Amino acid sequence: MPTTIKLDPVTRIEGHLEIEVTVDTVKGEQQVIDAKSSGTMFRGFEIILQGRDPRDAAMLSQRICGVCPVSHAMASCRNLDDAFGVTVPENGRLMRNLVLGANFVQSHILHFYHLTALDYIDTTGILDIAPWAPRYVTPDMVGGTLAQTLVGHYVAALEMRRKTHQMGALFGGKLPCVSSFVAGGCTEVVSAEKIASFRSLLDEARAFVDNVYVPDVLAVAGLFPEYYEIGTGCGNLLAYGAFDLDASGNNKLFAPGRYTDGTTGQMNLAEINEHVKYSWYTEATGTLNPADGVTDPDPDKPSAYSWCKAPRYGDQVHELGPLARMWINGDYTNGISVLDRLAARALETKVIADAMDGWLDELEVGASGYAEPSLPQTATGVGLTEAPRGALGHWMEITDGTISRYQVVTPTAWNTSPRDDLDQLGPTEAALIGTPVADLEQPIEVLRVVHSFDPCLACGVHLARPDDRARGTKVLIQPGIA
Amino acid sequence: MRISRRDFLKAAAAAAASGKMAPAALAGLRDTLLESNGPRVIWLQGQGCDGCTVSLLNTIHYASFDELLLNTIELDFHNTVMASAGDLAVSAAEAASVVPGYVLVIEGAIPTGAEGRYCRLWPGMSMYDGVMSFAENAGFIMAVGACATFGGCTAAAPNPTNAKGVGEVLGSDPRLINVPGCPCHPDWIVGTVAYLLTNGHVPPLDEHRRPLQFFGKQIHHNCFKRGLVCGETVFATKLGEEGCMERLGCKGKHTHADCYVRKWNSSGPGEYGVNWCIESQSPCLGCVEPSYPDGMSPFFVELPPPVQES
Repeated sequence: MPTTIKLDPVTRIEGHLEIEVTVDTVKGEQQVIDAKSSGTMFRGFEIILQGRDPRDAAMLSQRICGVCPVSHAMASCRNLDDAFGVTVPENGRLMRNLVLGANFVQSHILHFYHLTALDYIDTTGILDIAPWAPRYVTPDMVGGTLAQTLVGHYVAALEMRRKTHQMGALFGGKLPCVSSFVAGGCTEVVSAEKIASFRSLLDEARAFVDNVYVPDVLAVAGLFPEYYEIGTGCGNLLAYGAFDLDASGNNKLFAPGRYTDGTTGQMNLAEINEHVKYSWYTEATGTLNPADGVTDPDPDKPSAYSWCKAPRYGDQVHELGPLARMWINGDYTNGISVLDRLAARALETKVIADAMDGWLDELEVGASGYAEPSLPQTATGVGLTEAPRGALGHWMEITDGTISRYQVVTPTAWNTSPRDDLDQLGPTEAALIGTPVADLEQPIEVLRVVHSFDPCLACGVHLARPDDRARGTKVLIQPGIA
Repeated sequence: MRISRRDFLKAAAAAAASGKMAPAALAGLRDTLLESNGPRVIWLQGQGCDGCTVSLLNTIHYASFDELLLNTIELDFHNTVMASAGDLAVSAAEAASVVPGYVLVIEGAIPTGAEGRYCRLWPGMSMYDGVMSFAENAGFIMAVGACATFGGCTAAAPNPTNAKGVGEVLGSDPRLINVPGCPCHPDWIVGTVAYLLTNGHVPPLDEHRRPLQFFGKQIHHNCFKRGLVCGETVFATKLGEEGCMERLGCKGKHTHADCYVRKWNSSGPGEYGVNWCIESQSPCLGCVEPSYPDGMSPFFVELPPPVQES
């Protein structure tokens, strides 16, 4: 008999997420047969940005997310650069890349060790106090020496991620939330001392990635090979690309593109739209391109079950993130699954950290990284980049010198989106279908799939659902262990 | 990798030696930290971005994050960090709240629009209800960050969700300490916790219930950019220049925090940070003040001087 499990709150993520799965026995195996993901918090940044000085968008919009503020600052600055028609000086481009890179390394280390590793290791006898207890303990979890080693690395990773933020602050001003990213470039001044300090910390980070992070991910993967088959999802991938390698912006460390129905292709922004059939928005705002995007809530809409819109490319579901970037770049094409997401994320960390060393060499001591823009009365802008968890876009219209429209489409909006107008499941929902669940009271498999996307709900959710739904039989998970 | 209480006390001693913690306070801190059971902390996240949590992960000046968790506090509920999920996580929060005297930390704003349904902690528990219910048995209540203290960006005009800070929701409460910032500096959080552990009462506060230890002095008066050349203040004419950015919109004259000495992203125990907004040649946003962000923006436009200067 089908059983519905509500996992709320989903922890070890950024923000507020509820996952509801229906589990039944199919072909002798107890597995997920239906899934719904829903965010439970709304602030309304797009509404708040309207009517403000466009330059303030770079400062305010990065407060959407404390885990990927640098990506929002980057997207917003690129949006402003575009609207203002300003060319960022080389040092500005390089400093922005270095700070963004520092936050990618920080975020990826945080994700593996502090957000997802506890899904795979049994820390009983090692960490028996809060916040690591109570916890799920399942028979397939790794114990013994490897668990001890990984707990040690959990602590070492805390220090490493702190140092990567210290590194980013050298050119970012501070982290999280950068002060130096503005329209026209980066205000920080490049000195030989800053370059040397940055490189010293980068050397430490690269050694950690090469000698600890990547080997640990591969060790875990080796013990859970079935997760190369679990969480496969929609199978389509999309990236906007990031880290400009020259002033033209045409050459990037990660290229834009997509992988749809088994074929790689170009990425054309005009093909993106946001469906709202199952989201609490008026039908009139459905399937709009973000450049024309409108947020008009309809909390009484009967068909809706989420306040997340459903962004789609050419009306097709696409997954975003490190795996999408690495796949489109041709750097990782092993497969699409829980473990492929973890592995691609770790290998991407190495790609970025190694590239950062070269960007440091390109910096010119004393040269300005900032070109003062003039402010237009009327303009439109688009700013694309990547967040650690996937492609991020900011769209803007300026009227009478102030912001008249600001739209943000985040990677988590794509990845945790509900069903769309064509009744296609969102990427996380799709990835959950078929996931085996051995113990209904400890659905650790569900957490592993959800965590593999590294969701970030402050980014993903624009509005919250106003009501608790009463739908079907709910079996709320009871504590199985003390 | 386990770090001992002795190591933490060394860090605390280093802090005391550099004048950031009075020796008498340190003696109390030592006793407190050597007790086997650290204070219990319940950390609720409302309408925020986790930026204050990520900032806390950067703590090192007074203690590192693992030192805090292993030796100093018992973090019974924190959505971003805890191992458990779903009802198991909720049961941990509920169990912890039964015994009075814990420190309740609030991160993020509290929506009061739509009967509080713009932010839900778990099934049947809105952020508003969570704050009211968990405040009941709390010994101290720390509002951490701009959103939790005064509403911050979440409550910026037109405040679509009618979001409020903790003080506005709870009303006058002697247990409340406001530790603002966007994000909050890790030292402001850890230093306030250390004060509570040592003294058992709220620290000296200003009229906005901010600890005077961290928010007692105005940034502009103490800024390194004052009197740069022969005692004369040179004004920057565009961002990226060395001079004072008051005319470019810097809100240092309107802002009370110790960023000018503490800086951000410290490199080690007892060390100050490596950089801060103004040192990166970008204006102070005034993020620790109750009027942030609406009263501090446009960020790149000069405000009239404050009526009352401290």
